[in-house]
Order: sequence, then C-alpha cells, then structure tokens
Amino acid sequence: MEKFSTRFPQLFVAVYTGALGEVSNLRQFGFWLLNRSAFEDVPVETPNEAGILITIDPESKAAGIVFGYLLDPFLEEADTFECLSRAHAYWLEGRYAEGTIKLISHLEGILCKRSRRARRDPEHFQRKIMPPAMMGDLVRRIRAGHRDPEPVETQLEVRS
Amino acid sequence: MRLRMDILFAGVLLSGTAMARVEPGLPVWDADERVALEEAGWVAGGLLLTDEPVPDVTEVEPEPEIKVAQPTAEEMAPDESESNEIPEAYWPVYFGERPESFLVDPQGLLSPVDFRDRQSFLEYHSGDSSIDLFIYVFRGDQELPGEVREEELVERFFSEGRPAAVVYYFLGSPQRSVIYLSPSLTDTVSAAEQRRALESSVMQAFEKVDPAGQIEAFLVQMSIRIYWMERMQEGGDGMNAALPAFSKAPEVKVDKDEAPGRLQVLLEQGRPYFSYAALFAGGLICAVGVQQWFRRKARYHFPEFDVEPRLGGDHAAGVGAVISFASASLPPASQRDQVPDYLRRA
Repeated sequence: MEKFSTRFPQLFVAVYTGALGEVSNLRQFGFWLLNRSAFEDVPVETPNEAGILITIDPESKAAGIVFGYLLDPFLEEADTFECLSRAHAYWLEGRYAEGTIKLISHLEGILCKRSRRARRDPEHFQRKIMPPAMMGDLVRRIRAGHRDPEPVETQLEVRS
Repeated sequence: MRLRMDILFAGVLLSGTAMARVEPGLPVWDADERVALEEAGWVAGGLLLTDEPVPDVTEVEPEPEIKVAQPTAEEMAPDESESNEIPEAYWPVYFGERPESFLVDPQGLLSPVDFRDRQSFLEYHSGDSSIDLFIYVFRGDQELPGEVREEELVERFFSEGRPAAVVYYFLGSPQRSVIYLSPSLTDTVSAAEQRRALESSVMQAFEKVDPAGQIEAFLVQMSIRIYWMERMQEGGDGMNAALPAFSKAPEVKVDKDEAPGRLQVLLEQGRPYFSYAALFAGGLICAVGVQQWFRRKARYHFPEFDVEPRLGGDHAAGVGAVISFASASLPPASQRDQVPDYLRRA
C-alpha cells in the first residue's frame, strides 16, 4: 500500500476488514466510512477524496470498493468490479491478504493507463463529470457554430 | 493266295528274329601275332582281352630303406627371406624419422602414377584442413616389426607441428589399417570416433576391387572424417560429426540425419553474424529493462476536476462494486451490474 502511494502521490488505499453486523449494506457502509473517517497513517494534506477504500466482511463473505471524488472521472464501476474479481479466488479460500495484494496490483495497472490517458486527453474525463446544464450549453454552442451565416446584402448593377 | 503271302511273311519275320538273338563271338588272338607283340614289349589290355585266367600277383620283395640325413634345427627354422615382416632395410624410412611427405611408400608398392595421385591428394587435404594426414603403405600380408611401438612413434614424431592423423595402410587389406592421432588430437577426438572414422573408410575402400582404387576411396573418406574431427576440435558436436560418414554412399537416404547437417551448415553460415545478433539482442534487452525500470519509478498524477457532490457525501459518492465470495458456485461473472440506480451518475 505504501508502494501504491509512492506511485500515485495523490492517492491512498485503505482496507477495512471486519464484520459489519447490523449494517446490512456493504456499499452504504463503505460510502459512510470514506466520508466520515480519518485515516491515521495518511498525511493530513491528503483528503479523503483521494482515497480508495476496500471493505471486506469475512462473516457475510462480501467485499466492496469505494473511491473518492478525485477518481470519479477516471474509475468506473466496471473497473472496481474487475479488481474485486481478481481477488475473488483468494478470498474464497480465506486468503484475504493475498487477494488484497492482487486487487491493488490490478488497480495500479488500471490507474496507470488512466493517468497516461488523462495527461494526453484530459477533456475526455472532464466531459464525464460535466453537469447536465453545462452539457446543454455545450450543445447549444456547437449548434450555433453550424448555423448558416447571416445573408450579406449585395447590390447588383444592371446595365441597360 | 493271300493266305500264302501271310505265311511267307511270318516265316521271314521269325527267321530274322532268330538270327538276331545269336551273340557275336569275341575276337581271338592269332597265336603268331600275339607272340610277336609280346616279344616286342607290353600288349595293351593283354590281361583282359583273353579267355585265360588272371595270373596271381606275385609278392614284391621290400626294397631296402634309403638312409637320408634328418633336417637340422637351423634348417627347420623359418627362412627370414620368406617372412612377412617388413624388410629391415625399410625400417629407417618407416619408423626412424618423421616423414617428409604425406605418403610413405619406400617399398614402392604403389605404381608411380598412383603414388603421384595419392600424394597430390594428401597435399591438397593438408592445404584444406588443419589436420595433416600421413599414410604409411605396407603390403597386405606384411607384419610390423615386433620392436616397433606405433603409439610411441607417433608421439615422438608428431607431438610438434601441426596436428596429424597417421594411418598404417595395408595395400589390398584395408581392414588391417590402423589409425593414430597426434597427442594434441587425442584429447578432443575420442577413441570411438577414431574407430568410426576408420571403419567408414574401410567400408568405402571395400567398395572397390583393385588395391589402388581401395586406397583412393579410403583416403577420400578418411579426409572427410578428418574434417569432422577438425570441427570437433574447434568445439563442434560429436554427434553431428558422425553423420557425414556415409555421405559418399548414395544409397543411404536418411532424411532425419540430414537435418542436423543442414542445421550445422546454416549455423556455419550465420556464425559471422552471431556477434551482431548478440549485440542487437543485448541492446533490446537493455532497452526493455530500462523502460521497465522507468515505468516502475514513474509517478502518476491525475488532473483534479470539480466534481459535484452526490448523496450528501463530502468526499465520496460510493460508486463502487460489491462482490460476494460466499460460494464458489457464484462466480464474479454472475455478479455484474449490481450497482443500484440511485448511486449512478445522473
């Protein structure tokens, strides 16, 4: 996990393992934990928006990933599902540490690619998080660019 | 009338048959003629051609034993002149010094033409190969002197100078040939390989009938085998070296054995480019290594965009997947698309 933070200086990974008990929804628990908790070994200047929280419940045999707003444009739900799938086989056998390492390793690969692409084409990711209103403005501006130009008055001389 | 004719014919037939049954008598000696012949000497078949009984053989009196002197021990000893050993006069040329020419035939067993041809072939071989080939020619039935120790001679005369293969060839009896290698070769060329080389050369020699043709075929094959010994000395493969033994035999068509030979030829052709290829491969490996090292050391950053908070979350919106690992019968593939709609972006 330290290595992860070295490669991605903006980000950090946290792992929560434990029985959730009465909290039946793992996704809601992750959402709550990442928004409310303070991670002791994470630098103060690193906000929770840059966090990736892996929640593992060995009792109910379920695990989930939640990530902050910083990665919102760059990660999809399918990406996190792919990472969890990599760890599935290990967790089935109760090898939680190995599964988690596998998960983080795969996540690193995905984030590397997204980072390179974001450097080349940041607008691609910016468009994903653009609010609908702005999207409407953008459409209007595009359409305006394709309007026919205003007619220019011309004087024609007719020779007799 | 007809009856009379039949009776007459039958009578004639019977009288003829009766006459044929009478045996002719043996010739009889005229008494005077026989006496005259006997007086003149021996009468051939005189004992048989007579009706008189064969006279009994009279016992011959034993003749007195002739006294002849018994052979002495010296006379019974084998004659040196008829021995198969190489005449002592030729020993110095054969065994007294390192030969100056590749073909050693002081007895003149080869005809001048054959000697010249074989000599020129051996010189050609010497120019083409780093291993010289020396041939000592002996008569097919000749024996090497008991005092001669061939290995010691080869070691003494061929320790210095170019490596050499020395063959004692018995004209007309190629199967008696013996090969010796100079000390610099014995370490790299095994005894088994020497034996194989000799056997294949003898086989080639036996395809010819005349002794001159035999030695020619023998030398050609031995030259080929020496070429492969040379390759072994340079660090080649011994197994491959055994293959061209039958290269001259057209009836042997073994494709599997030809493949390593072709590979060997290709390797030989590509040998000058090995260094460039190794350099290129090394450079490629270094480049890949450096690239990997840079990737490992690289730092990845993400541009920070203003994201509108959702669900009242200050730091995260909880858009992530959940997976269950309760049972192996519930694979990840069957757990896709579980994110509730209310967590998706608008």
